[in-house]
Formats: sequence, C-alpha cells, structure tokens
Amino acid sequence: MNTSILKQGPYLIAILQAGQSDSDLLQLQETLLEQVGRFRSRGVILDVTLLDVMDSFATRTLRGIAQAVSLRGAETVIVGIRPEIAFAMVQLGLDTRLSGVLTALDLEEALAILNRRCREGMCRD
Amino acid sequence: MAEQTNQDSTKSLMEEIGITDREIANRCAFLELGEKDIKELLGIDPVAEAYADPVIEDFYKHLLNFEETRVFFQDRQVLERVKRAQKQYFARLTRGNYDKDYIEDRLKIGAVHERIGLPVKAYLGMYNFYLRNVAARLFDEYKNDREKALRAFLSLLKVVFLDMGLAIDTYINRREQLIGKQQEAMRELPTPVLRVRERLLILPVVGVLESYRAHQLTEQLLESIGTTRAKAAIVDITGVPVVDSRVANHLLQTVSAARLMGATVILTGLSSQIAQALVAIGVDLSQVKTTVDLQSGLEEAERLLGYRLVPAGDKARSDQLHP
Amino acid sequence: MTDVVQITVRSDADIILVRQQARMLAKELGFSSSDLTLIATALSELARNIVEYARQGEIVLSQIRQGSRRGITIIARDRGPGIADIERAMLDGYSTGKGLGLGLPGAKRLMDEFEITSSLGQGTTVKATKWAR
Repeated sequence: MNTSILKQGPYLIAILQAGQSDSDLLQLQETLLEQVGRFRSRGVILDVTLLDVMDSFATRTLRGIAQAVSLRGAETVIVGIRPEIAFAMVQLGLDTRLSGVLTALDLEEALAILNRRCREGMCRD
Repeated sequence: MAEQTNQDSTKSLMEEIGITDREIANRCAFLELGEKDIKELLGIDPVAEAYADPVIEDFYKHLLNFEETRVFFQDRQVLERVKRAQKQYFARLTRGNYDKDYIEDRLKIGAVHERIGLPVKAYLGMYNFYLRNVAARLFDEYKNDREKALRAFLSLLKVVFLDMGLAIDTYINRREQLIGKQQEAMRELPTPVLRVRERLLILPVVGVLESYRAHQLTEQLLESIGTTRAKAAIVDITGVPVVDSRVANHLLQTVSAARLMGATVILTGLSSQIAQALVAIGVDLSQVKTTVDLQSGLEEAERLLGYRLVPAGDKARSDQLHP
Repeated sequence: MTDVVQITVRSDADIILVRQQARMLAKELGFSSSDLTLIATALSELARNIVEYARQGEIVLSQIRQGSRRGITIIARDRGPGIADIERAMLDGYSTGKGLGLGLPGAKRLMDEFEITSSLGQGTTVKATKWAR
C-alpha cells in the first residue's frame, strides 16, 4: 500500500493509511526524504488521522522521519493524533519519544504552524 | 425498566455470581465433599426426617428469643410459612444430588435472606444452632455407633459449609452490585467541559479525583479537544482537595496526550499545600504549564491563542499603536 | 460461551489482521473506543515482538465472561529464542531489537493483567487480560 504524498507549495503532505504495514512506513520514510530534497520543501506534514494504532514501531519511524527531515533543513508536523490514540501512546510511554516533534490538531493548524516557523526564519528560505 | 428487571430475574444467580460447573467441582474438592459423604448423608436421611419437626421447633424457639431475629417473624402466618420452608431446606441437606439445581436453589434462598436484611452473623448463628441441635440428636440416635454418628455429622458439616459459602456469595454479590451502582452514579457526576472562547476550553474539577474519575476526565478532555478543535484547555483543580502522586501522574499524562493531539493544557488552582506535597513526593510538573489561579491561566491561554485583552476605552489608542 | 480466535503471526501484515480481530472481539464485549485502542496497541507490540524475535508464532484471543465481568485475554506464544533476562526485558527502554524497548513493559501498562514466561531456546509466552469497565 503506497502512502499518497501531496505537494502543497513549499510543503509535503503525507496521509498515512489505516492498515499500513511496517514496510509501507519505511517506504514512506524513503520517499519523503527523497522528495524533500527534490522539491526543496520547507515542511512535511504527516497526517495520521486514519491510523488505528500508533505503536512503538510507528512512533519510532515517525520520529525518525522528523529527525531526518530536519537534517535536510525542513520541519515536520504530525497531524491528527486522535484522543484515544494519544491516550494509548501516553500509557505506552511513547509521548516522550515524540517530545521534539511538532503536533497539530488538523491540517489547517499544521500549515499555520509551518507558515509561522518559516516567517520567523526557523526554516530555510 | 420493567423489561430489564425481568431479564435480570431470568438470568440464573449462578451465572450472575459466576459459579460454573468447574467452580462447583472446585468447591466440593476443597471441602473434600465426595461420594462417601453423599452415601453417609443419604444413610441418615430417615433419621433426619424423624428429627425434622422437633429441630424446627427448637430452632424457632431460639430465634424468637432474640430481638435481632424476632423482628423477621412478627406475623404468625409468616412464621408458619417460614417454618415449613425452613424444614424443607434442612431436609434437602441429606438428599444427595448436590448439583447445579441444588446450588441455584441455595443461592436463591441466600438472596432472599439478604433481601429481607438478615445479617450474615445471624445467618451463621442460626446454622450453628442447627448443627449443635442436630449433632446432639445424631449422637443420641447412634448411641451404640458413635463413629457412625461422627462420620455422618462431618459429612453434614461439609454440605452445610458449601451452603454457607454460597449464601455469603449472594451477600457479596449484592454488595458488589450496590458498589457498581454507586460508581455508576459517581460517573454521572460530570466535570463540565466549558467552551470559553473559540478554541479555548475550561474544565473546573470539583471533588476527589479517584482513578476512575481521573480517567474519565482525561477521556472527556481529549474528546472535547478533538471535537471543538481547541488549541488550549485550562484544567482548574481549585476544587480538588487532595492530589496524590497517582492523580498528579494522571494529570501529567493528560497534558502529554493533549500535546500529542496538538493542544496545550494549562493547570490552574494548585493550592500551596498541594504544590508543596507534590514537590515532596517528587512529582515533576516542570513540563506542565501551571499558573496560580484561573485568571492567570486564562491570560496565559489567551496569549497562546494570540488574543490581546485591551480595556474597551483604550480601543482607539491601541488601534493606533498597532495599525 | 467463550469465543476464541487463533491467528498465526509471521509477517507485519498479520499484525494488522490480529489488531482487527481483537477490535471485533473486544467491541462485542462492550469495550469503550479508548479501551479498544489500548488493546489494539498492546497487541501490536506483542505481535511485533513475535515477528521480530521469533519470526513466527501465534496469537490466541479469547473473550472471557466471569459473572458480570467481561474481558479479553491475549495469549502471544512463540518458539523463538526466548528471553534471557525477563526482568530486564520488562524495563522501559531496554531493547535488543529495533524497537524503542517499550513493547513488553508498555503492553503491560496497557492491559490489566500481564504474565510472561520464557525460557532460552524454548520460546516465550505472554498472557494478558483487559477487563471492560
């Protein structure tokens, strides 16, 4: 299952699918990093609204994406962690693993955050 | 409502209490109640039938001597009916077949005693009186074979203890149901989630935050953040008398979960005692935005949301300052 | 009375299948949606451990009814290498694989009851139960 990646101006938006396997996630990581370079993107939005579970593997992979994306000079925002999933992540102790990553309630908010960060010169122009 | 009551009464007590075939077998095994005992008991059944009436008479004479038990038998007719039922109950002890029907029957009788409010101590006391009375009669009957009397009596003791276990289970079951209902009622004691402004929520928490309510609070808050797209939420715990490490950790988790969703939680109303207690037990709240009272919490939230509070009279001037 | 589902786990696609099955069974028992997520997450961790360390194993999901209580029990069993030091494996952040080291201790926190037995060269069995509130 391929994750669709949308290009929206200087940003890339990846919408993760329910029932995504581990290899899909790893594939996504590779594609995203390649595209950040190709499009000189300033931000990546990972939309996880559709995920049924955020386990330690998914969390680790998303954190890895955020870290690698930042090494390529762009910011990552995770969008759409649902209430029950946020709660499970905290119970699992995964929240601290994402403490360096920006989160937002929805796409609009995520775009606003990225716009603000870029205005403040916190990402490359 | 009526339908539900019907449904409950058709459900067997065994099922309700969770007594399975295996559980029955376990209880019998633990009491070492087996074939030998059944034979022993069936063997004294004719004797039991003979002493049934005098035992019942003694039994009720004893019960009527005490205020605590007398109150249950004020009415003569009631007394006669209960005597007959009790005689049957005792008679059943020496009839073998301690199967599912037996268990269900015993549970039902236990539940009746519970319902009329007979205390457990009275139930046990009554059974004790019965056993002593029967022991005397058995040893009298088998004067020449005291071994036999003892064997029969010990077997009877096992069945009686099986009965007592079941009866006590019905008492416990009822209490558990009661506790469940009270918890249910407490769950309905809600913490309102108030929307103060666009994307700003306030949760005034009042009363003791035991773990169920704390869990509920978290669920409610996270759910509300999701549905209202709130960016900030103020949890005001001015009305919470005690915050132990469990509750504090729960609050921490809530704050963290809200952050994962993309919202900020501000904790307000930590009294100085609570603040000191938290420090003393080593709860680290440094990752949490806390303010001394609701007012400063609101100001903090508004800053987060990008609001600027300006007195109405100053409007013109502030517009000039920030065109 | 008890409904049992047994699933062989050997790839990450099976992990997804297991989660879906568990959600279905748990939903029938009246678990809240946040509890469904906790169960699915715990299961995800346990199933992933199987795939990662033992390559293959099985997950048995059973509905349990005890009096008025309803619950779901997960048994995750493999004949893999086993765990040398269970106490250490149950510590946060300890991992010999590619995870975050939160799998076992995390799954324990997500469930109400949790037992683990393991012996080197024999495999590992985890039994975990969650009760509906």
